[in-house]
Amino acid sequence: MKKMAVIGDPEFNVGFRLVGIRDIYDVSSQEELEKAVRETLTRKDVGVVVIRYDLLKKLPYALQREVDESVDPTFVAVGGEGGIEEIREKIRRAIGVDLWK
Amino acid sequence: MAEVQPTRMELIKLRRRIKMATRGHALLKMKRDGLIMEFRDILEEAKEVIGGMVEKYESARERLAIAMAADGVIAVKSIALSCHTEPSFTIKKKNIMGVVVPVIKREKVRKRVSERDYGVIGTTARIDEAVAAYEELVDAILEVAELETTLKRLIEEIEKTKRRVNALEYRVIPDMEATAKYISFRLEEMDRENIVRLKKIKAKMAKT
Repeated sequence: MKKMAVIGDPEFNVGFRLVGIRDIYDVSSQEELEKAVRETLTRKDVGVVVIRYDLLKKLPYALQREVDESVDPTFVAVGGEGGIEEIREKIRRAIGVDLWK
Repeated sequence: MAEVQPTRMELIKLRRRIKMATRGHALLKMKRDGLIMEFRDILEEAKEVIGGMVEKYESARERLAIAMAADGVIAVKSIALSCHTEPSFTIKKKNIMGVVVPVIKREKVRKRVSERDYGVIGTTARIDEAVAAYEELVDAILEVAELETTLKRLIEEIEKTKRRVNALEYRVIPDMEATAKYISFRLEEMDRENIVRLKKIKAKMAKT
């Protein structure tokens, strides 16, 4: 049985608190953000980490790669269309055709 | 190319390597096609789920904003504090052609109003709605977590495999073939030189 964790600013997190998620990291600065991400990466009881898309993009490149490669926990970026655009771009690059739409 | 020794042994070695490279190339090509097939299967589903999640996120935010505006931030936050039944799920790892992807089994993310941890009487319908919307969102996020990661992994692997296939097809194999050709030409040339030399010597010996 795994748990969810949420990383975001307090305003983003309230909604997830309502669902009963307890592992919530309120971050308001870059250091806090990096610390929270590192901690969730090493935690064994967390299976999925929800993170705001724009916060994910603020991480240093090396950490972003680590987040991308991690399977347990799996990171999901929420908020905005940025995530879709990114996948689309990747598909276009890998296959050569825009298969998304 | 000039640095290879034009010997028979070198040629035999090279031919062996070409054979192996061609076999590897064929295998990699199959892997690439397999990955793309797998990818296309998932893509359709992922498109829908990810689009759905974005929508649910927007509507959940809206509902929450309404609840906060109408009932006060403090009321919503105090309810948030009382919620402690976490959505539960299990996560497993699956292997698609060497790509490790997560498989998430969701269990009971959505709750009935009576099952929630806060009292129904003391709260308003707006808060109930916000909670329901967020439950849906979490459900969608878990689904996305699986599909999106799988999709990303597959894309990466496809790119890698593709690069290898192309490198073999357009660089490694042609290079080796050219070298093999050069060696066999050199060997033939040496043979002919030798014959000419022998004939000359024979002619000289016949004269004396």
